[in-house]
Amino acid sequence: MRILLAEDDELLGSGIKAGLTQKGFHVDWVRDGVAAERELLTGEHQAVVLDLGLPRQDGMDSLKAARARRIATPVLVLTARDAVSARIEGLDAGADDYLVKPVDLHELAARLRALVRRAHGQTQSRLTAGPVTLDPAAHQVWLDGAPVELSGREYDLLQVFMLNAGRVLSREQIEQHLYKWGTEVASNTVEVHIYNLRRKLRAELIETVRGVGYVLRRDSSPVA
Amino acid sequence: MSRSTAPASGTRLSLQARLLATVLGVMSVVWLAVAASTWYDTGHELDELLDAHLAQAAALLVTQRLDDLEGDNFPPPPTLHKYQTRVAIQVWHEGKLVVRSTNAPEASLASGDVPGLRTSMVEGDAWRVLTTPGREPDVVIHVGELESARHHILMASLRSIGLPMLLALPLLALGIWWAVRGAVRPLRALGQAVAARRPQALQPLSVQAVPPEVAPLVTALNGLFERMTELLESERRFTADAAHELRTPIAAIRMQVQVAQEAPSDAGREQALAATLQGCDRAARLVEQLLQLARLESEASYGEGPARPGPSSADMAAIARALVAEFERQVTARGQRLVLDAAAAVPSPLPAALAQVLMRNLIDNAVRYSPDGALVRISVCGSPEGGAGRLVVEDSGPGLTPDAMARLGERFFRVVGSPQTGSGLGWSIVRRLARLFELDLVVDRSAALGGLRVTVSWKQDGRVHQA
Repeated sequence: MRILLAEDDELLGSGIKAGLTQKGFHVDWVRDGVAAERELLTGEHQAVVLDLGLPRQDGMDSLKAARARRIATPVLVLTARDAVSARIEGLDAGADDYLVKPVDLHELAARLRALVRRAHGQTQSRLTAGPVTLDPAAHQVWLDGAPVELSGREYDLLQVFMLNAGRVLSREQIEQHLYKWGTEVASNTVEVHIYNLRRKLRAELIETVRGVGYVLRRDSSPVA
Repeated sequence: MSRSTAPASGTRLSLQARLLATVLGVMSVVWLAVAASTWYDTGHELDELLDAHLAQAAALLVTQRLDDLEGDNFPPPPTLHKYQTRVAIQVWHEGKLVVRSTNAPEASLASGDVPGLRTSMVEGDAWRVLTTPGREPDVVIHVGELESARHHILMASLRSIGLPMLLALPLLALGIWWAVRGAVRPLRALGQAVAARRPQALQPLSVQAVPPEVAPLVTALNGLFERMTELLESERRFTADAAHELRTPIAAIRMQVQVAQEAPSDAGREQALAATLQGCDRAARLVEQLLQLARLESEASYGEGPARPGPSSADMAAIARALVAEFERQVTARGQRLVLDAAAAVPSPLPAALAQVLMRNLIDNAVRYSPDGALVRISVCGSPEGGAGRLVVEDSGPGLTPDAMARLGERFFRVVGSPQTGSGLGWSIVRRLARLFELDLVVDRSAALGGLRVTVSWKQDGRVHQA
């Protein structure tokens, strides 16, 4: 999952980035409010961790600007402002969650997973599509109840498909979801990962929609 | 709640007691003066009046022939007045008492025959006696009156003015007590209102509700409340700011520790632990700065004036040398150069510990915000006669925009885009020190190095010589 982190403090930022990376997130890190707004507006991230006291522009303004442009990306505000009025203001400005520093790494990761899940209309913490079950917290995948070993990229790709089950995704969209900035992506990388997924799970799980992209059927019935 | 009553000293009287004592004392003195003057005046008038009566009685006797007075021919006079019996008459003829009134003693009322008025003692009684020669030769007439009778009349007249006075004093005391009680009631109510207040309740008291005499006290109290409100507000803000500013390093430390705990590789763990250490250092520095600032602020709010520590004999150059050595490692690690330009000893305008705080913050700022490889120069110089001096810290860094220079020293103001972590507290501390010790603080662009230049200068301080 690609996460945008907006934090001006070098030490805290590097800590969050390293911690979330350990938890399986891909973190893009910006250090000021203007950059945060710019990245928010691309809508490429599954969730945002936003500090409020940012240089150049307050995080609150970045958030308001993004919400005004109908950017629905879940935003978790992580700040030192602990006053109830500040929390209310943050949530009313469009934040989906509000955490006061210091924060526990596990809690931050869990809240991000919950935010992403809810943003995709999922109520269960485990994602299911036909015979496939994916547990974002445990980073585990099962096929008909049996664990399946997937590489990191394959897992990320499957999670993108499952979160967007029933929706056709173009190759560009998939790449945006998977790769941080500055990552060189070979033109056939996504195809290779999809090929591997089909091989490790089931070939008919991910359908190719010619000229458009790929789709994972929500209720792909098990093959008789 | 403890009632705060002032310690009762022996010499202090309540307003009521003081007023009571004063009024009653003055009244008593006035009354005694009135009594004394009445005693004297009435006595004098009475003497004149009664002496006249004696003379009148004597004149009547002088017109009589001795034969008329002597023997049975002299009838006892009718009693016409109750005081009449007090007048005694003696008629002497050739040394023999020939006639006397019944109340007159046997002995002569006067020791001689010299005519005139005198006071004499006869058989233990004091008499006022008028002596006059009779119609015939060798006849002497004494007309006397007991002095005690005169005293009786005098005392009676004094009693008539004294009694109302004696009665008036307790009544007066009661009246004063009642009036003072009423007058002091607003004061007492004010005291109760202040005593019943919670420490946070610092809203002003109403000046309209109190008598004009108490209004200055209420106004002064309100002024105090206002200053305390400001002080409380600034402390509250300081606490909030401090907590806010400490949250980020603590959050960083916590996050880095968790990263280290779960790091899949040794390299990752090492990196996270190094970052943790860095976070600890930063938090410690922040706490240190906050404490310095808090100490300076409390000094500024409570200890302005005599409580302020005076200048010391500390040597600014020596302090600077020690600090340069202290910063050496940090500076070398970033390829920076720290140069000290100080020839002779320069007396410090402030105590050694605070001079160190001042210089450390200035050097720390210069080193921290200058890029790698930059040059930081510190120069300390004093005037030849001593007392005045100048400290300059300049660097070859990027300097500051005029806007940022103006905002320096605002608590927690950080220069935008600065990659370095800092709280802006260092400048608050420098500014506070400059204000406390009347140092001139100038921030501008260094002509020699191109970066920021901070000049701290101080004038000859008169207090050094007074001390």
